[in-house]
Amino acid sequence: MKLNLLLLLFIFFSKFSFAAEKTVDPNLIHKNLRCLVCQGQSISDSNSDFAQTIKLVVKDLIDEGKTENEIYEFMSDKYGDWIVFKPQFNTQNSLLWILPYIVLIFGGFFIYSFLKKRQ
Amino acid sequence: MLSNLGNILLFLNVILSFSIIYVANRNLKISGGVDKNIFQLSLIQSTSIIICFFVLIAAFIVSDFSLITVYQNSHSLKPLFYKIAGTWGNHEGSLLLWAIILSIFSFLFLVYNKNHPKKFRLLTLIIQNILILGFLFFILFNSNPFSKISPIPSEGLGLNPILQDPALAIHPPLLYVGFVGASIYFSAAIASLITNYSEKSFSLSIKNWVLISWCFQTLGILVGSIWAYYELGWGGFWFWDPVENASLLPWFAMTALFHSLIVFEKRNLFYFWVIILCLITFTLSVTGTFLVRSGILNSVHTFASDPTRGIYILIFLSLMIFGSIFLLFKKYKKENYDLNRNSKETFILVNNWFMMFYLITVLLGTIYPIFTDALTDNKISVGPPFYNAIIFPVVVVFLLFMALGPKAKWIKNKFENIRTYILILTGAIGLNLAIIFFIKSFSLLSNFIIISALFLIISSLMDIAKALKKNKLDFARIISHTSFGFLVLFIGLNDIFTLEKDYNIKLGETKKFENYSIQLQNLDLKNYKNYQAVIGKLEIKNINSNQTNILNPEIRIYDKPKTLTYEAAIKTSLIKDYYLTMSNIDRSDYYNIKFQKKPLMAWIWISVIMIVVGGSIRLFGNAKNN
Repeated sequence: MKLNLLLLLFIFFSKFSFAAEKTVDPNLIHKNLRCLVCQGQSISDSNSDFAQTIKLVVKDLIDEGKTENEIYEFMSDKYGDWIVFKPQFNTQNSLLWILPYIVLIFGGFFIYSFLKKRQ
Repeated sequence: MLSNLGNILLFLNVILSFSIIYVANRNLKISGGVDKNIFQLSLIQSTSIIICFFVLIAAFIVSDFSLITVYQNSHSLKPLFYKIAGTWGNHEGSLLLWAIILSIFSFLFLVYNKNHPKKFRLLTLIIQNILILGFLFFILFNSNPFSKISPIPSEGLGLNPILQDPALAIHPPLLYVGFVGASIYFSAAIASLITNYSEKSFSLSIKNWVLISWCFQTLGILVGSIWAYYELGWGGFWFWDPVENASLLPWFAMTALFHSLIVFEKRNLFYFWVIILCLITFTLSVTGTFLVRSGILNSVHTFASDPTRGIYILIFLSLMIFGSIFLLFKKYKKENYDLNRNSKETFILVNNWFMMFYLITVLLGTIYPIFTDALTDNKISVGPPFYNAIIFPVVVVFLLFMALGPKAKWIKNKFENIRTYILILTGAIGLNLAIIFFIKSFSLLSNFIIISALFLIISSLMDIAKALKKNKLDFARIISHTSFGFLVLFIGLNDIFTLEKDYNIKLGETKKFENYSIQLQNLDLKNYKNYQAVIGKLEIKNINSNQTNILNPEIRIYDKPKTLTYEAAIKTSLIKDYYLTMSNIDRSDYYNIKFQKKPLMAWIWISVIMIVVGGSIRLFGNAKNN
């Protein structure tokens, strides 16, 4: 069980390290937005007119002082959730975010049940 | 003419499969060895399906546009190499390749497993032939590469230019050997359940097949990544694209499987778990095919999508899954394990535990959007940020286990010297500090990943030193595990070190950033056999060392089909790659250029190759021992 604790710690810290980055990196945002007129490309990878427009919009939003998450929300509202590569954590997506960890914890218990109770 | 010949050969194969099933079934009921006729029939089956494939290749080479497949995917002006590669660069042709692999594996499995019970061998053959029939019917009635078109068009539509690449030409066959190869242990697992062949020796019949498919799967994923890196022009090699995920899912299952097989072979434990993994692997391969070919998912690989195909594969898949589950429930006997906490068995279970976690995460991420779309009409995207956030923290712990596991002994392990581990960990942290010092950037997660990767590498290297003293070296394991550590390390470093700049630039203009300057010196228009190209000449200068590099990215205009592609210019060296793409901006004389400095790229590829080398050493070792 030490392991799961450790794991939670890691998750906590990884979130923490993201939060620590104050400056908004437009490249990172471009990478996390889908080019809607392309096949499976991000805004950052695409050369289409659509991608160029979105890049300008992102630049404007950053200049307005919007945070990374606010920009994603803005894009989702305008173009739908399909545009953001990082699915939001909400009721609809809760299973997506939580189930992997449930599997991990459950698997740990499962293996534990195979072990000798005493060394 | 070629069309008729192809169709005749396909029908011949259907007849051969039925005959094999019939003869094998009759042979089951009588005593004695395996009927000689079965070997002959099986050999003829493999040969005729290969000839059938050559007929299709021939049609591509001579550009016989009376075949719809050739018409849709080829063009008379295409270079010969891509005419041939076009054979499997489409849905119909690739299915034929599937049928070949199914048949050849079926034959070889029969030949190479003479020491196993006759019933088990014959049943494996029968099941495998049922799978072959499933694919043959699919080919004949839904996706026939030999379907005719009339009137005969005078010219073909051409192959998508981004598919005209040597890496892309070879990666599908590699992947198919990987995940279609998984069919043979699917069949063997079913046969083993039916015939109650659950002794340790069962593992011997399948373990080399698992290794072969695993090696090819790994290579296929590697070559596919290299293709994405060279051809897609965004400088990355893995995008967690649904199709990439589809190739990764069976890989996780195979990796879990051959680790569990070690326990099954040595300790006769985990029989049902091994069976389940055998069944899962091929099921996931077919699932991947279903997701890709049905067009349900949006991805860069949309070369083949059609809903009616989806329905056929879905029915096939459901039959496989329900059949397997039914059989499992019927035959399942509770097994009691009493494992020691600190033993090799437990550590291998831990490997499987993590593999299942990766598998389920990737599977969930891949299919979740389908469900939200169907249930709430809200289409979501699950991309790299999701996988990175869920998977990478767990990789840290995984790597530590991967370092400790192989040191453990069977049954019961004495606690080894804790001091050594502390020493290794200190070394890893020290090296990591050096890395932070040089790059001056810090993210807790990436540093944890680097530390754990270094821990794995150092401890594997120490294993070598120790094993050399005792003269008992397990090369296969050490090479694969160390290389995996290096792979994670290089990916981590690459991610932190990458420098990326994006400019709009005019002819003759120079841009400066950090200690680089970049100048667009010249633009050249050239005509090639099947495309025109605007070739840029850009000079990248490292101001500190005064080194210059010339890179020539291209904008290509293909005729057939009319497409614009952007060819990246890549300068590879052992330390870093320079990666540059150029694109035109409409209604202006500016060009958009994207420059990336990507450290250690070559080493990422080399690490994966070394992982496969480890697998191959184990494979050849096994073959020698038999």
